[in-house]
Amino acid sequence: MNDTVVTSLQHNNKTIKGIGKKGKIKKLIPYLWIAPSVLLIAVIIFVPILELFLTSFSKVSLAGIRKGLIGFGNFKDLFSDKAFLIVLKNTLVWTIAVVGISTVLSIGIALILNKKFPGRRIVRAVLIFPWATSLIITAAMWKYIFDFNYGIMNLILQKAGIIKENIYWLAKPEISFPVLIWVGIFVTIPFTSFVILAGLQTIPIVLYESGSIDGASGWRSFCYITLPLLKESLTVSTVLNVIYVFNSFPIIWTITRGDPLNQTDTVVTYLYKMAFQANKMGQAAAVSVISFLILLAFSILYVSIVMRRSD
Amino acid sequence: MHSRKITIGKCLMVVSVIVLLVVLLFPYVVMVLTALKPKSEVYAIPPHFLPKVWTPGNFIDIWEKVMLVNFITNTIFVASLSTIIALICAIPAAYALARMRFKGSKAYLYMIIITQMFSPIVLLVGLYRIIGMFGLIDSLWGLVLVDAAFNQAFAVWILRGYFASIPYELEQAAWIDGCSKWQALRKVLLPLSAPGIITALIFVFIAAWNEFTVALTIMSTEHLKPLTVGIYAFFGRYDIQWQYLFATSAIATVPVIVLFLLIEKHLISGLTAGGVKE
Repeated sequence: MNDTVVTSLQHNNKTIKGIGKKGKIKKLIPYLWIAPSVLLIAVIIFVPILELFLTSFSKVSLAGIRKGLIGFGNFKDLFSDKAFLIVLKNTLVWTIAVVGISTVLSIGIALILNKKFPGRRIVRAVLIFPWATSLIITAAMWKYIFDFNYGIMNLILQKAGIIKENIYWLAKPEISFPVLIWVGIFVTIPFTSFVILAGLQTIPIVLYESGSIDGASGWRSFCYITLPLLKESLTVSTVLNVIYVFNSFPIIWTITRGDPLNQTDTVVTYLYKMAFQANKMGQAAAVSVISFLILLAFSILYVSIVMRRSD
Repeated sequence: MHSRKITIGKCLMVVSVIVLLVVLLFPYVVMVLTALKPKSEVYAIPPHFLPKVWTPGNFIDIWEKVMLVNFITNTIFVASLSTIIALICAIPAAYALARMRFKGSKAYLYMIIITQMFSPIVLLVGLYRIIGMFGLIDSLWGLVLVDAAFNQAFAVWILRGYFASIPYELEQAAWIDGCSKWQALRKVLLPLSAPGIITALIFVFIAAWNEFTVALTIMSTEHLKPLTVGIYAFFGRYDIQWQYLFATSAIATVPVIVLFLLIEKHLISGLTAGGVKE
């Protein structure tokens, strides 16, 4: 992939000379080429961001009409609600747990897929499934598996003699939140594994050969050769995953709806409830603005990592 | 000693591959098996894993239980049109990025990558109001525009990479033969970038096919719902009709998995926007 970045830079240099100084109209041509794309993004992404900020600083009537600016009123209301602090804590736990555990598991999976073995293509193909499936369908599957009465999980654990009585997986937050995190991990693993696998494939085998001459094998060659060289892939996958997982709505919405009493809500399910069930558009906008700023910080971090690499 | 180590390693490897496959396939197997059970078995306590009576009945019933034909048509409509719009906007933009030098090209590139990080959910409050201003609440066109815009980044990035990897000389030769820039793009560059275009096409199509949050928020008329929201009808207030839910889900899932497998190799480079070497 990086080869293409390099060639594109070369081409750009050529085009400088190609365009030259043939009048102002010629200079405008590139902007015409990007205009449709810019317009689409501006109208559907940037205008809503503006609208979001405006709404967060406005008093909004129940009918959803803005009634003048009120400064930080919506934000104050938000933080005076104890539920919001639980939601923030949940979001933090959700994001760190899903991204962290997925990354560790994905390193293992990528190491396996990097080896040649019969059936590797099948494993690769199956690994795609959770990635390709709509999140609400994956969430529904796990919701059924963890169902108290009809779920297969209780059946398996009973048959295996691990539990004597069925567990209410989805009732108490102490149990349901880990279940949600598991589903989050399940859908995060494919992307993460493939990114790490791409990273592994760039490590020259020669390094391992010379490592083994020096007596490094197995665990030690993993620690001293593989991990350091995976740093870039791991950074990229972690930053992107933080963003994806933070944004994840359908899993929690389908399995627990954030119940009971916001105990399993994260920022995104909370803002959805605020906006479309409690009719508190102003506060919902305030939650969105906070989330947006957090995401923006991560996006900028990501862009700076990527750009440092391609320069 | 050494050979023993290798066999232990091999055993560990075989075991972990099997565990991985079982965990990954488990929910899908449960989905299909449940869809093939009669209702009485789905609600049996204690449950059993395999159907005692295998029946395709649920796959027949769902067409009458919900407006499945409408759901599928709506999903195909939204996915196809958003894919077309996304590519119509992305192809010239990617071309400009790959072949032209202009002020602001880097700014545009950064903007594209940053928008890839935004999801509709965080912008939903603003998005809902804008869609409302256009009068597109409860309209499939609202979904089309949202899906096209939020997938611009992937399409532009992957196409830019493909365009840049094709020698500029080929187009220049076409110009000499009297082609305009646009003709050279159409006749030379696009056919050569077919893998990139197909990747972008399938990716946007699947993303739109699977989109749930915005559809849930803006679509309320039953016959206008796409599959992801239509499926939600099986989550009743008091009970969930699992057998129908899973029969419909299976139908909705098979095409996307097949399409996804076709583009698997190109996905990472598009999603990590140059952050990962391949």
